[in-house]
Amino acid sequence: MASDPYAALGVARTATDAEIKKAYRGIAKTSHPDLNPDPAAQDRFKAASAAYDLLKDPEQRRRFDAGEIDAQGQERPQQRFYREHAEASGNPYAQGYGFEGDPDLSDVFADLFGRRGAGGFRQGRAGGFDMRGQDYRFSLQVDFMTAAKGGKTRVTLPEGGTLEVSIPKGVRDGQTIRLKGKGGPGAGQGAPGDAYLTISVAAHPEFRREGDDILLTLPISLDEAVLGGTVAAPTIDGPVNLTIPRGATSGQRLRLRGRGINGGDQHVELKIAMPPQVDEDLVRFMQEWRGTHGYDPRRGMKT
Amino acid sequence: MTRFYSETEVVARIDELTPGRLHGFLRSRVVVPVEAGDGARYRDADLARLQLLCHLIDCYDLRDDALSLVMSLVDQLNTARGDMRAVMQVLAEQPDELRQRLHADIRARRG
Repeated sequence: MASDPYAALGVARTATDAEIKKAYRGIAKTSHPDLNPDPAAQDRFKAASAAYDLLKDPEQRRRFDAGEIDAQGQERPQQRFYREHAEASGNPYAQGYGFEGDPDLSDVFADLFGRRGAGGFRQGRAGGFDMRGQDYRFSLQVDFMTAAKGGKTRVTLPEGGTLEVSIPKGVRDGQTIRLKGKGGPGAGQGAPGDAYLTISVAAHPEFRREGDDILLTLPISLDEAVLGGTVAAPTIDGPVNLTIPRGATSGQRLRLRGRGINGGDQHVELKIAMPPQVDEDLVRFMQEWRGTHGYDPRRGMKT
Repeated sequence: MTRFYSETEVVARIDELTPGRLHGFLRSRVVVPVEAGDGARYRDADLARLQLLCHLIDCYDLRDDALSLVMSLVDQLNTARGDMRAVMQVLAEQPDELRQRLHADIRARRG
């Protein structure tokens, strides 16, 4: 920001609090980046809001006037501009702007950009005519297991009340579920609108998903890695026995066929975990073993 | 991964936002957060939108219906701007011959 906050706001140093506020609002009105695309306006607005943040607090203003603090360090920690989000694809508030109703162009338009709600958040206005109810759009976050196995959850409706929603098994992040007739009520003889739920799937501490396949990193002990054996591996349907081959190594992938979602597989990546304490026995054994059996796992690396 | 904020976090992060204001926005559906089982979750886009809404109220004295109208126009414009940007980027990558033909056709329609 400019080193002089008074200059940034265009007021005298003797300006009253009301004058400062008025000056800030004047600049904000003409230069807010969400309302004015000119980059110079954005700079003007940033300087003015930093200056206003400093001067609106009487104590800060007094300290600045007395030379105890300078105008720096008063930048807003984060200035969010809606436009950056609103222009991006996938903005939840994206709204059609008039081509949906054009008989000649609506198909061309939908082919290019997909279908959007017209007035996604506005209330339908009832009039003396029949009108289909408004479509509601919700974003719904479901936990990993519900998404993997299906289940029921509830969404709270803006006008009160709740809606029970069945989450289909294997629903993916970003997928939209349509609930026919669960939108706003129609006017007159009009049918109710539909509700659309865009699903986001929350992360799981252990499982990851790749389509219908499940990925899991499974720690195994040093002795299990050397000797092989059977261990219990968690799957989304509970633990199953997994055979660890003798001489298993970190990063090795084993497949549990059909243990994913809807016929997908679960892939288990092994990770050798050292014992919590390396005791004398192990050290002695390893020292002897190294003497006669040493090997270089890095041989053959290119760099 | 999208970052999510709770209602308390949102109110703490935006100076001008009070719980009362936020509930008004929710009632008029001018902000629609993500529903999780245990309450609403707000995305970065929701935060930016809330900040703009507060700004429109404080600087322009917009209320309920007017606020909905302005936000609807802002959304339409931004969606159009994003679409237009995508179209322009695709056009820019086309061969010269096609771009010249489109240029002539568009000129003929839009003067």
